[in-house]
Amino acid sequence: MHDFLTILPLLIIVFGAVVLMLLAAFEKVSLTTAAGISMGFFAAAFAAQLLAGCGPQRLVFEEIFNGMLVAGNFTMVAALVIFACGFFSTTSSHTYFQVNRFDGLEFYSLLLFAAAGMVLLTMAAELITAFIALEVMSLAIYVLVGYDRNRVTATEALLKYLMLGAFAGAFFAMGTALLYGAAGSTHFTAIATVAASEAGSPLLLGGAFLLFVALLFKVAAFPFHAWVIDVYDGAAAPVTGFMATALKAAVFTLFANILAIHGALHQGWVEILFYLAVFTMFAGNLIAIGQNSLKRMLAASGIVHTGYLLVGLVAISADTFTGAVIGYYLAAYAAGTLGIFAALSYLGGEGEKRATFADFRGLARVRPYSAAAITIFLLSMAGIPPTAGFMGKFYIITSAIEAGQIALAVLAVVSSILSMWYYLRLIVAMYFQPAEETFATTGSPWAGVGTIALAVSVFAIGLYPIIV
Amino acid sequence: MENTATYLGLIPLLPLAGALVTGLLHMLTCRRKPLPELFYGVVGCIGPLLAFFFALVLFFHLKGMPAEERFLSHIPYTWFAVGDLRVDMGFLADPLSSLMLLFVTFIGSLIHIYSIGYMAGDENFGKFFSYLNLFLGSMLILVLGNGPVVMFVGWEGVGLCSYLLISFYSKERENVLAGNKAFIVNRIGDFGFVLGVSLLFWAIGAGGFDYLALQANAGSLTPGVGIAVCLLLFLGACGKSAQIPLYVWLPDAMAGPTPVSALIHAATMVTAGVYMVARFSFLYVQFPVAGSVVAWVGILTALLAAIFGLFQRDIKKILAYSTVSQLGYMFAGVGVAAYSAGIFHVFTHAFFKALLFLGAGAVIYALHHQQDIWKMGGLKEKMPKTYWTMLIGALALAGCPPLSGFFSKDEILFSALAHGHIGIWLVGVVVAALTAYYTFRMIFVVFHGQPRDQHAWEQAKDAPAVMTWPLLILAFGAFFVGFLNLPGLFGGGLRVSHWLAPSLVESHPHVGLGVELLAVFAGVAAFVVGITLAYRKFGKGATEPEYRGFARFAYHKFYVDELYNALFVQPYKAFGGVISRILEPKVTDLPVRLSTWLYRWAGNAFKVLQVGYVRVYALYMVIGLSLMSLILSQSIN
Repeated sequence: MHDFLTILPLLIIVFGAVVLMLLAAFEKVSLTTAAGISMGFFAAAFAAQLLAGCGPQRLVFEEIFNGMLVAGNFTMVAALVIFACGFFSTTSSHTYFQVNRFDGLEFYSLLLFAAAGMVLLTMAAELITAFIALEVMSLAIYVLVGYDRNRVTATEALLKYLMLGAFAGAFFAMGTALLYGAAGSTHFTAIATVAASEAGSPLLLGGAFLLFVALLFKVAAFPFHAWVIDVYDGAAAPVTGFMATALKAAVFTLFANILAIHGALHQGWVEILFYLAVFTMFAGNLIAIGQNSLKRMLAASGIVHTGYLLVGLVAISADTFTGAVIGYYLAAYAAGTLGIFAALSYLGGEGEKRATFADFRGLARVRPYSAAAITIFLLSMAGIPPTAGFMGKFYIITSAIEAGQIALAVLAVVSSILSMWYYLRLIVAMYFQPAEETFATTGSPWAGVGTIALAVSVFAIGLYPIIV
Repeated sequence: MENTATYLGLIPLLPLAGALVTGLLHMLTCRRKPLPELFYGVVGCIGPLLAFFFALVLFFHLKGMPAEERFLSHIPYTWFAVGDLRVDMGFLADPLSSLMLLFVTFIGSLIHIYSIGYMAGDENFGKFFSYLNLFLGSMLILVLGNGPVVMFVGWEGVGLCSYLLISFYSKERENVLAGNKAFIVNRIGDFGFVLGVSLLFWAIGAGGFDYLALQANAGSLTPGVGIAVCLLLFLGACGKSAQIPLYVWLPDAMAGPTPVSALIHAATMVTAGVYMVARFSFLYVQFPVAGSVVAWVGILTALLAAIFGLFQRDIKKILAYSTVSQLGYMFAGVGVAAYSAGIFHVFTHAFFKALLFLGAGAVIYALHHQQDIWKMGGLKEKMPKTYWTMLIGALALAGCPPLSGFFSKDEILFSALAHGHIGIWLVGVVVAALTAYYTFRMIFVVFHGQPRDQHAWEQAKDAPAVMTWPLLILAFGAFFVGFLNLPGLFGGGLRVSHWLAPSLVESHPHVGLGVELLAVFAGVAAFVVGITLAYRKFGKGATEPEYRGFARFAYHKFYVDELYNALFVQPYKAFGGVISRILEPKVTDLPVRLSTWLYRWAGNAFKVLQVGYVRVYALYMVIGLSLMSLILSQSIN
């Protein structure tokens, strides 16, 4: 019973997904109702997770379901981030579908399924569970990416993502096989114990390597990043926002959980993670400055943020791991990114006709509040105080310094400076250039409320400190 | 010894809250339909009036305590702590600050009320009250702060508000420039203030950095450091209180609305420098050399400004130079270690100068923003209330016994004489005669004789009640507050000086009755000479004179502005020009541009890799994978 209570939020999400799918099958509800139901389930799951975390039996770190899942403060934070992402993506979607009419009731159901897969992924404690969760998540996301099947770019994005994702999935399966062969168990703890005693075993090393490649692919780390630009560009803006935030949160949580199980395991990967982090940050920056489309720029900037999170992974220490730094960064990043994609969903217009930097010229003259909100989100992503993004970066960089990775910390700061280029470019376009159009849109009132909530949370998260 | 009083925090907080409310409401509504003026007026006056009420409560609270224990403090929170420096956001009320509080909030409230009438019809009515409230809150922080750092918060706050309000009519470039000038000149003073405070902290800050701790530790200052601290702090005072060489901003500051000139540039803010010197009396007393510098700078400023005042034609500029001149007196007072005399002059001056400015405001208001006295004349019949109240103010300023200005000025001159500063006393007497002359020149030209602009004269009339009542109240004050500090010669008990005694470190030299009488007679004689000369020249109507020779030189204010411009502003601009035209684009910008070019180039190069073919992306993965395996294979074995 206790085990089921622990995964109650997950069950709520799955239940919501099933309910929505059934409703969709009979076409009994309107789209607005479906969006409302989806938001309701996300909110309920969020509340349940919050209660589970803050209740009298505070979870620290425990195995449930005979060691198939783990639940702790870190997974709780990750689940909260994912639920919040789902909630705000639903509001963005609702706005988005006011002008882009390819909606269906199943959309929200898929959103819930994807979130369920993600939450399960964060809690996975062994390889088979992780694989199932990964596939649940990925399949739902594939469909969401190509949901607008009449648009060429969407189907193209779907195809690319599916093919490369299958490629990565194969790596994951292969890695699982090798690891099981080496350790005789699929449990992370058992594998880590073996890894500690037999350092340098080729089977173990190769298996872990293939596993990590799959994860690196999902978070778009260099050199497995190339798909992300086209896929983010092709998918609908709310879906992109959801992918960029929730998916990354889920995969990074799993990644950190695996690495933190045993010091020996982490030690073996520090060097390669170091190079990956550096290359990811700088490759992302270089790709981003060349883009004219906002979604492509944001996709590239997502690569950069992956780089910062990799810095965080380099800096974790298995003995004192709490996940606080990474969890904080995920939340801060999610608030800014969701906000900007919510704004794009709202202002993009029919068929996302406003997509480039040039299209947003003079927004501040016509819609000062929207422009101010976008500015807040951009500043948070760029890491300007007093926003959440600044604090997140601050914690990441501080943890790197504490772990002795001075060079990495310096490079992260340099990358952060480089990233100003493309974030400020949009602010300049919005504020310092004359308006050429009226930015007329027909959004839902939820969009405004959601955007304000996100803008406030950018500051609220920034004010909420963690003890590293 | 220290008692706490929680309501101290409320005193500055109330006007600040008013500033926030009116400011936000103005911001939110000014684009569309502005709120009614009465609303802003009422909300804007609540804060100052309540602050005045609490100042009264505080005064009686202190009065009920034994004289030597009159200290109340309240520390809401620790502001910051860095190393040895721990600064509390703390408030300290003692006799000195409570006296300042009383008249600042009292006159502040009156001027808020007056402004309801004066600013009527202005499109930025709400903004004006927001700034005015912000000013009052900052001034109260300055006065109540328990140490130099908190004082500095208020110090900068009032400077900011002064800037905002001087440039209030920001549509005219001249006003904006005047605001800039005030701000920049004040920065020079602030530079001295910050240096002085830093030096003080470096020397004796380890034992605590509020006034009480500093006073306790002041004995360990070496003369060199102590004199440097005193002079640097005085540089700050010169900026804020418009003394030589930094007085140039105050006459220009008259570009602001007249209530602002009355409140900020006459009655309260400009006296902050005097207050600060009195606050640090425990330092200045130790180093009489620094005190002498203060006194001499003060009295020379008084002389210079009085000379300039003789030839001005703008009614507000006359009053502005008179303010500079009176501030000079105050510094002469605190400089010769007669702190209570200086503060007493601050106190009386606040009444009669605010009165004169508000009266001038009423005249300007009646004549539709005419400020040139040579376009006025004969307004006595048309504006009797304004005339009689202003006359009281002018008499007080000129030092006519038994009005307030006579007693406070006499106290300063007597102290200078008693402490043996004969030179300062002599200059002071001359300045007193000049003061009487230029004050009554203004009164005679504006109110007596024949109207010089018939059309404007016919339309002139007394201002509405909301403006005349403050005038009447201030006139009452200007007449009678002098009696609060009646010296022994006239059977009084120097009650203000005794009240201030616990806050100040000063000595009262005992001199004979003869010296005291000499000072009084010299003062009265100066007044009589000045007013007689003014009457003979302007009493029966006069035409605008042609200025030649020295008068012309003085009319142009000795060309000091031009001199500063040539000596400091232009070389500074030229230096900046060299940097902006040569150093920056040709030298420092080069690496910057190079790096942006490199970054952009790399970005474009990288963009090529993003081909869009899924097979190429798969290839990247394979290449990356292979490279990584290669690295990993090193670690096997």
